[in-house]
Amino acid sequence: MIEVRNISKQVDTSEGTLSILDQVNLNLERGESLAIIGPSGSGKSTLLGILAGLDLPSSGTVSIDGEDITAMDEEGRAAVRAGHVGFVFQSFHLLPGLTALENVALPQELQGIDNGLQTARHYLERVGLGERVSHYPRQLSGGEQQRVALARAFACRPTILFADEPTGNLDTGTGQKINDLLFELNQEEGTTLILVTHEKSLAQRCKRTLQLEAGRQVEPSLDVAS
Amino acid sequence: MLALKMLLRSWRGGQHSLIFLSLVLAVAVVTSVSLLAERVEKALVAESSAFLAADLVVSSSVAIDPQWLQRAEQQGVSTALTASFASMTFSGDQMHLASIKAVQDSYPLRGAVKRSEIPFATNPADIEAVKSGPLPGELWVDSRLLPLLNIALGDSIDLGDGSFRVSQILVEEPDGAGNFYAFGARILMNWKDLPASGVIQPGSRVSYRLLIASDNPVAFNSYVDWLEQQIDIHDRIITPDEAQASISDTMDKGRRFLLLAGSVGVVLAGIALALASHHFANGQLLQVALFKSWGISASRVRRLYIQQILLLGVIGSVVGLIIGWGFHQLLVTVVREWLPITLPAAGSRPWITGFATGLLCLVGFTLPALWHLPLQSPLAVLRRESLAKPINNLVRGFLAVLTVALLLIWYSGNFYVSLAILLGFALSALASIAVGLALLRLGKTYGHWIGSIWRLALSNLWRRKRSSLIQMVGFSGAIALLMIMVVVRTSLIDEWRWQLAEDAPNHFLINVAAYELDGVKTLVDQRELETAGWYSMVRGRITHLKNRPPAEVVQGDHESLRRELNLSWTRELPEGNSIVQGAWWNPELDTGDLAPVSLEEDLLHELGLALGDTIGFSIGGLAFDAVITSTRSLNWDSMTPNFYFLFPEGYLENYPRTHMTSLHIPAEDKLLVNDLLRQYPTVQVIELDKVIDRIRTIVSQVTRGLEMMTLLILGCGVLVMFAAVSLSMAERLQESAILRTLGSSRRLILGVQWVEFTTLGLMAGLLAALGAELTIAMLQRFMFSMPFSWHSWLWLAGPLGGGLLVGLLGVVYSRRAVTQPPLRVLNSL
Repeated sequence: MIEVRNISKQVDTSEGTLSILDQVNLNLERGESLAIIGPSGSGKSTLLGILAGLDLPSSGTVSIDGEDITAMDEEGRAAVRAGHVGFVFQSFHLLPGLTALENVALPQELQGIDNGLQTARHYLERVGLGERVSHYPRQLSGGEQQRVALARAFACRPTILFADEPTGNLDTGTGQKINDLLFELNQEEGTTLILVTHEKSLAQRCKRTLQLEAGRQVEPSLDVAS
Repeated sequence: MLALKMLLRSWRGGQHSLIFLSLVLAVAVVTSVSLLAERVEKALVAESSAFLAADLVVSSSVAIDPQWLQRAEQQGVSTALTASFASMTFSGDQMHLASIKAVQDSYPLRGAVKRSEIPFATNPADIEAVKSGPLPGELWVDSRLLPLLNIALGDSIDLGDGSFRVSQILVEEPDGAGNFYAFGARILMNWKDLPASGVIQPGSRVSYRLLIASDNPVAFNSYVDWLEQQIDIHDRIITPDEAQASISDTMDKGRRFLLLAGSVGVVLAGIALALASHHFANGQLLQVALFKSWGISASRVRRLYIQQILLLGVIGSVVGLIIGWGFHQLLVTVVREWLPITLPAAGSRPWITGFATGLLCLVGFTLPALWHLPLQSPLAVLRRESLAKPINNLVRGFLAVLTVALLLIWYSGNFYVSLAILLGFALSALASIAVGLALLRLGKTYGHWIGSIWRLALSNLWRRKRSSLIQMVGFSGAIALLMIMVVVRTSLIDEWRWQLAEDAPNHFLINVAAYELDGVKTLVDQRELETAGWYSMVRGRITHLKNRPPAEVVQGDHESLRRELNLSWTRELPEGNSIVQGAWWNPELDTGDLAPVSLEEDLLHELGLALGDTIGFSIGGLAFDAVITSTRSLNWDSMTPNFYFLFPEGYLENYPRTHMTSLHIPAEDKLLVNDLLRQYPTVQVIELDKVIDRIRTIVSQVTRGLEMMTLLILGCGVLVMFAAVSLSMAERLQESAILRTLGSSRRLILGVQWVEFTTLGLMAGLLAALGAELTIAMLQRFMFSMPFSWHSWLWLAGPLGGGLLVGLLGVVYSRRAVTQPPLRVLNSL
């Protein structure tokens, strides 16, 4: 499903070239889950961005379903994201002027998918917010907002879901519930899940982990959940 | 349609409110001003015709050729003939030399004759407007003829060989106003009575007029073209503009002010739009990154935003058109009274202008601000710092200036006005940036001396210097434009004050002989009336210029060389006169045998003369030479005696002279004119009271219109302030919420906001005063032909007003930071 070969990323700074990622390799099959872990500044989010086609590596390749997305232009990568990818973010990124229902339906509407509202309503009910579809983000708690974000991510039926510290902004109890929901949905939809986290407990729920330290892969990705 | 759906959702979230409001206001200002200007323009053309009682008049000293009438009839053009002359009227042993006008049945072709059955009627209910003159055998006469001839309405009087019944009081003829040379009581008679009365004999001095009008412009123009080929030296064509010269200046300046107001409104709304768009774009960056992370292509994002902006433009423009129409209706009700006729409907141009303004504003101000949105990297969903940079400020500035220039030139149709506003604004923007930066640095460096609030606030301003400068440009632009409006409005109203003054002179007494002077003065004093001072007058002709015959010096035939001129003398420079070249009488000035003379500046140029040139005069056959020692500019609007030629005392006293003055005669003392004329039949009275009343009404209505327009522009200014304040609000709220979380007091947070905004306002006000002063100087020079003057109050009112207004607005806007829990504030950002 996802094949990563020798990914490196360097950026130029005023103090010279800075290596953010160095020779990262990875193979991930459909339906697998991967936790990218590591201390702050170890390159987790950069790797996530490159895997999702949001950013390009300085060298190396990333293939999704056999297609090398690093060889594509931005339009090509956008098409791949539209067909395959869903996101959940640490700070939810809900649009404040839209209701929960509209927030969930928006990506589908933008992609020209019919009955977006119907699908959105279904997923909001699935995350337990069937009664709050017409609420605006400011009227929802942090946990509820992240549930809307989960509904939005899954409503597009992505084959790969990228989650960047999905519970980083939530208290432990709420975070736990969001994690449960995330894995339940992942299970139901058969989605490949790649998440970045600091939390050991969350990482342990993934089938595999990839640990980064100063941009280097500390050890090959391990199958921890089996 | 997805764009519409997205627009409606954003609208609900209030993200487009400022853009929409700015747009609506821009369109509304332009539409209301254009509608009003066009309708008034059309009405003025009609009104001008009413001043002439026709669309065009041919005035002649000989009878109008009957062929001209036949030709007019063939071409379907309406005509009316009038003949004006002076003739003695009798009743018993009373007599009076009246100013008579004989009119055909079709008179007046435009406008109406006002008549009454009550002498000296002032109550509008007693006055009737009719579209005809008297029937044969009847006369309509000036009220004052009744006491002069000792008759009552219905009595008959003798005129020439006939006897006529006085059937109506003549209150006003449409083409009577401004006829300063008719001194006797006015009488209107029917043209058909002319032959029988025998009043016009060969050699009689008669002024004939052919009145022409047509609703068919093609027929009218073709007839006028033909007519122009026919006229000779005796005939003169009078156009509506010439007929109403007395008010055209006021109207013209009123119109220019409207255009200026409209232009200022457009610029203000443009600034508001640019600021609001900048603010909107900042809020959209993350959203676009999100869209792109979902796989939406850059071109699709661009299409979506352009579609939304166009939709917003169309909706905003339509709403603006409706509001503009409403506001123009309001203005119309205010100014309606001075146009006795109904305002004609406007054509399509104002609507097109309004609509196009809306779309052009969006293209010039909003699209450039949003242009970088599709280039936003999707990576911003993960890393906030990777936000796209807007297109270069210089490019955006250039586009904005280009848009404003296009709008201004198209809208005002006046290159200099556009240039003045643009230059004024550009200079004040550049000054805002340069001086603003220096002031901010100064504040940051020395702010700590004043206290912690000041230190924090001033270093905040410095840290945010980019947005501080943008805000300062917005604030100073708005304040400067508002000050320009107020100054121009005030100076126009000042200029018109004499026209608005209730006691402005409305009668001239001329040809008062020396032996009559004391008697006339006593009569005026008895009524406790005040004159503008008595002037002595000697009538003389110019015989030489620069010691040569005038024809050798002046090209063409100047009117002042053809007639006798009024020469006067005075020791002091009269009020309303100012010296342009040379010096006023100086006892040490030695002019030898030549008399010193002060000449009116324009006449000096028209006669091709210069300071130090000589002029030869002939007074009753006695010749003398004078040398030009000074030139003066006169205030012709002042209604006080004005002279082209003024001499010092001691040169003209020995020539036969008469006296003149001007004075205000209130309506209730109008009979003074009769007493005067009865006792001193050779004195001539020029009655301007009706003309002045008319001008006063017009000026006061125009002034009220200007006040309303200024209010609308103030609204635009406040909008700019709002747009500018909201620019940095998210960042400020976030900082305030963090400060509160850290335990800062409400006083500190509001104090910091107050100091920040007040400082911005103070600095902007100072820069605005500079920009306003520069622009006003240019406007005075090129648009209103006024002398330059400093406005010291601007330098005080600008910073003080700016500081107060902006400070208040900022604190009101940022109150949310202290009234809501910090977490809620942070979450809502």
